Amino acid sequence: MAFSSFSYPCNLMVVGASDPRKQSLFASSLFGGASDLLCFHQQHRLLKGRKRSCISASLSERGEYHSQRPPTPLLDTINYPIHMKNLSIKELKQLSDELRSDVIFHVSKTGGHLGSSLGVVELTVALHYVFNAPQDKMLWDVGHQSYPHKILTGRRDKMHTMRQTNGLSGFTKRSESEYDSFGTGHSSTSISAALGMAVGRDLKGRKNSVIAVIGDGAMTAGQAYEAMNNAGYLDSDMIVILNDNKQVSLPTANLDGPIPPVGALSSALSRLQSSRPLRELREVAKGVTKQIGGPMHEIAAKVDEYARGMISGSGSTLFEELGLYYIGPVDGHNMDDLVTILREVKSTKTTGPVLIHVVTEKGRGYPYAERAADKYHGVTKFDPATGKQYKGSAPTQSYTNYFAEALIAEAEADKDIIAIHAAMGGGTGLNYFLRRFPERCFDVGIAEQHAVTFAAGLACEGLKPFCAIYSSFLQRAYDQVIHDVDLQKLPVRFAMDRAGLVGADGPTHSGSFDVTYMACLPNMVVMAPSDEAELFHMVATAAAINDRPSCFRYPRGNGIGAPLPPGNKGVPLEIGKGRVLIEGERVALLGYGTAVQSCFAAASLIESHGLRITVADARFCKPLDQALIRGLAKSHEVLITVEEGSIGGFGSHVAQFMALDGLLDGTTKWRPIVLPDRYIDHGAPVDQMVEAGLTPAHIAATVFNILGQTREALEIMS
Amino acid sequence: MRCGVILPGAGMAPLHLRHRGGAAGAGAFGWMPVKNPGLRAVGLKTRAAVKEGGKVGASFYDLLGISEGGSLEEIKRAYKKMARKYHPDVSPPDLASEYTRRFIELQEAYETLSDPGRRAMYDRDLARGLQFALSSRRRFDQELEEKAAWKNRWQDQLETLKMRSKQRDSMENLSWGARMRQAKG
Repeated sequence: MAFSSFSYPCNLMVVGASDPRKQSLFASSLFGGASDLLCFHQQHRLLKGRKRSCISASLSERGEYHSQRPPTPLLDTINYPIHMKNLSIKELKQLSDELRSDVIFHVSKTGGHLGSSLGVVELTVALHYVFNAPQDKMLWDVGHQSYPHKILTGRRDKMHTMRQTNGLSGFTKRSESEYDSFGTGHSSTSISAALGMAVGRDLKGRKNSVIAVIGDGAMTAGQAYEAMNNAGYLDSDMIVILNDNKQVSLPTANLDGPIPPVGALSSALSRLQSSRPLRELREVAKGVTKQIGGPMHEIAAKVDEYARGMISGSGSTLFEELGLYYIGPVDGHNMDDLVTILREVKSTKTTGPVLIHVVTEKGRGYPYAERAADKYHGVTKFDPATGKQYKGSAPTQSYTNYFAEALIAEAEADKDIIAIHAAMGGGTGLNYFLRRFPERCFDVGIAEQHAVTFAAGLACEGLKPFCAIYSSFLQRAYDQVIHDVDLQKLPVRFAMDRAGLVGADGPTHSGSFDVTYMACLPNMVVMAPSDEAELFHMVATAAAINDRPSCFRYPRGNGIGAPLPPGNKGVPLEIGKGRVLIEGERVALLGYGTAVQSCFAAASLIESHGLRITVADARFCKPLDQALIRGLAKSHEVLITVEEGSIGGFGSHVAQFMALDGLLDGTTKWRPIVLPDRYIDHGAPVDQMVEAGLTPAHIAATVFNILGQTREALEIMS
Repeated sequence: MRCGVILPGAGMAPLHLRHRGGAAGAGAFGWMPVKNPGLRAVGLKTRAAVKEGGKVGASFYDLLGISEGGSLEEIKRAYKKMARKYHPDVSPPDLASEYTRRFIELQEAYETLSDPGRRAMYDRDLARGLQFALSSRRRFDQELEEKAAWKNRWQDQLETLKMRSKQRDSMENLSWGARMRQAKG
């Protein structure tokens, strides 16, 4: 009777058995593989009595996970996917469990993206088992779920360097390994790239497979549909795997709990998963086709198709209409199912584009992640046994938090203020805004282009929309910014978080170009706060600018401890006015944004050598404070503009003005300090600044070099 | 498979016997079994909620009075304590029906939370905001049935894929991909 047999999972393995084969036989003989359907990992507690043969780490009694890394005998033998080819399905399951614990323990030491990687462990193993990377191309959309893939493709020994300077990238990267077919970081690009690779393969006459793995969140972006539409039209052989874990927004929750589907698409996907086929009717339809027999092949196919269409309900027809053959839903944690399907699809010639709808659970296999509202999407270092993350204690909060508080304060005073973000409620801090003003915060899914034009529409109706989109993600919506907002002079406010270098996420996420691409637009007001207090004032300023678009940028990281305005309510600044912070002589450092802090530090370095220089905060890149620049140019020998942005930004605008104003016709020198003309790899923020040449030491050395005091410059740099 | 309601008599028969391996079935325990108390409990609970307007918010953890991270020992202890209080045999006669109802709820709570698998599912539902999660056994069976239905469906889809692929390039298929495949031979 009640064996509760379902709760004896294949997880006899996860306990780190010393003799995996014996245990797997035991499991299969008892339950004939039926237990594979569902794996409940907490079961190990009840099995504690059985695993006497286990020499490995003990499960902590109170916690629900290993406190020490369990042995991974099978994973230790796999360095590359080719080593997996001789494994049986049972061994693949054991490999999945070992891989899972490996991911958990690695991420616990380095931080990174956990939940998504855990959800695709079985899928990764199945893919590498059935297909032959690197000839077969595997593309991981966004790339943050590629940790198991990296472990299996020769980078396990480097996993401790994940997201660190000179270490593994947190996303897939072509220059890192031949197994990473395409560089990712932003979402929804995988199907497009995969189609390109499939067509390229066809043109070159090759025969490999091309597989793109894309999540349901990334499916909300338009590019995925553009790609699928084109794929359906071209009819080239390729496989798209839709990894559906019902987590459409990131982190996958707001402050109070998980987020329900953000759009109609996610509802459609849910319906797909849950629609119950009328099996009897299908059986009848199948029986009819069987009777019709061989010569009536085509008619039979049609009948079956009609039966399918009648019964499988809505949703799959969306992909079918686009021209992809839909298979699914499939249990994404069932190794048998996955391997069977992938094998079948691989062995079928001429499939055209196929979409396999795989249902997984984010954070699967790690109890704390399964229960957490955000499924441990992105974590800092944590303790595996208890799931507690080590939150560093900082005296100040992040600029993101300050922005959210500033916006809430503005919205309290003005009921027209609306906040919009693109599936980044946690990352932009707008989850706080959502909690306070649930009717005035809009999450549009991963759709930056739509977000901008949507904001433009709101502005037409007299509302005051704030688009909080990361600097690098706003790149996706550039035409909408120009055509829909700036050209029509609609008062949309852009709050660009993650401006400048961003540390561990690397060049895909760094906001290097926003000053350049925003300041060249005719109607845009462009400003940047030098500290958190200025941020509050600039939010207020943006709220007050109602006749033209405006934007402001702020970096990742914490504030410097400036005193905040009372009640979190900033005071609007005078537009186009900067300020001088330190009065000095000979050299003026004109900083833009948080680079001003580096200028301060540089000034104190220089002061120790006996020279007191001027430090000014430009505040506005557009319109420039012309009087300030004229004054600085006339009273100093050298004017150095400092910004954490690429060429073509603040410094270029200053130079343009100076040239037109005749300020460069005399003896005044102008020098820019900008990000170098290359991409700065991921790493610790400090290391990145050194690499970019933007540290206070670099600035001070530049000053001395221009003054001809090269010895002092060398001193500072060594 | 349900083993009926396993309730201790006044002497508190060992609770741990009841759960795993249903061989020690209903007969070993002294009290009058309520048929399918799990399902009934759902009905009762929702009815109670309608009556009292707001009890639906209480999760199993709240019922037992423990925190969500409670260990098995804590759950057992809490259940024993509550059972001792609410067991119909020891309840004051005028509160018998209410106490019985609570007892049944407690029983369901204990059954769900003491089974790690069902507890995991319940915790997931809780995280998703389904405060009064469906009777976990029913959800369990529902999920299994759904997965089986999925398997049937994709097996059919694979068959159809294979059938279609044979005809794919033979029909008047002028798609770019078909032309390339034909050229390759």
